[in-house]
Amino acid sequence: MINDTSNWSIDMSAGPIFEQIAKNVHQMLARGALKPGDKLPSARDLASKLRVNANTIVHAYNELEAHGVIEKRRGLGTFIREDAPVDGMKHEMLQQAANAYADEGLQLDASIQEAITALKEVWDVG
Amino acid sequence: MLAKLEHVTKRYVKNEGLRDLTLDFPSGEVVGMLGLNGSGKSTLLKLMAGLLTPTDGHITVFGGKPRTNRAQIVFLGETDVLWPWMTPADAERFMRNLYADFDAKRFTELLDALEVPRRKTKTMSKGERGRLRLAMALARNAKLYLLDEPLAGIDLISREKILSSIVQEWHTDETIVLSTHEVAEAEGLFERAIYLREGRLALDVSAESLREGGKSVVDTFREVLA
Repeated sequence: MINDTSNWSIDMSAGPIFEQIAKNVHQMLARGALKPGDKLPSARDLASKLRVNANTIVHAYNELEAHGVIEKRRGLGTFIREDAPVDGMKHEMLQQAANAYADEGLQLDASIQEAITALKEVWDVG
Repeated sequence: MLAKLEHVTKRYVKNEGLRDLTLDFPSGEVVGMLGLNGSGKSTLLKLMAGLLTPTDGHITVFGGKPRTNRAQIVFLGETDVLWPWMTPADAERFMRNLYADFDAKRFTELLDALEVPRRKTKTMSKGERGRLRLAMALARNAKLYLLDEPLAGIDLISREKILSSIVQEWHTDETIVLSTHEVAEAEGLFERAIYLREGRLALDVSAESLREGGKSVVDTFREVLA
């Protein structure tokens, strides 16, 4: 699953690549494409697949490790931690996205009802 | 410092190749050398490879003149030097005789990864020849790889294979300087981007710090060189 390049999306104009790699892992966890205990590809293999610098992947993995999402097991590789904060993750990422939408709504002086209506309309089309 | 250029100028008979260029290359960096045609990218790589000498200024690679350290430098040029009768096996013998640091096992692995057909180069496509030439270059165990337009004029699939192999083979103590016009395809590899304009340094910048500001290496190419 994680080796499928279609699961990764990187936009060179959308911020540092290491952040986008880390975000991709969060997204895969949030939607269940990755689960606690799953093994991640080595930094070199993933870098080669995505055609990005291996140091960038190492940077992303370090970031994920610092946030308690993954762990390196000596001689075995890198894994999603059994206690990775998966449950709240989808909610948290939705909230992050909602933040930007809410800001825009407030600038337009929209009510929450108007905002929800607009969201529903767009959602149903998608 | 692995390589160092101090006030390097290269004049050709008519036009100037490079003008007063000062640059440092630490070990363990993947550098994109970017610029329009005639900006001096090839000249710079050839100078670092010891294939040209500067008109003015100094270049040191591994603490000495590039020419005296040529055995430790890999240069992949734009000219296709493969003989039409050569097969990958012939290329292996050729490289083994020429370079002490040539790793035959690594070469075979690269041929497989790059899916190079085992037949004469005259029956290969340009992309297949490009992949073979890359395998020959990367199978050497060097600390400095100068790759001049390895993606030029070849098909998309070959370009992707070449970039993947470069990532796969790169070790953290090796420096790769790669010139290319395919900036969008290659930019993920770059830790640093050097932009040349008419033989002068236009910008020397960390790629991730550009992206931090919401700009890609390509966006910056347009800004700096348009």
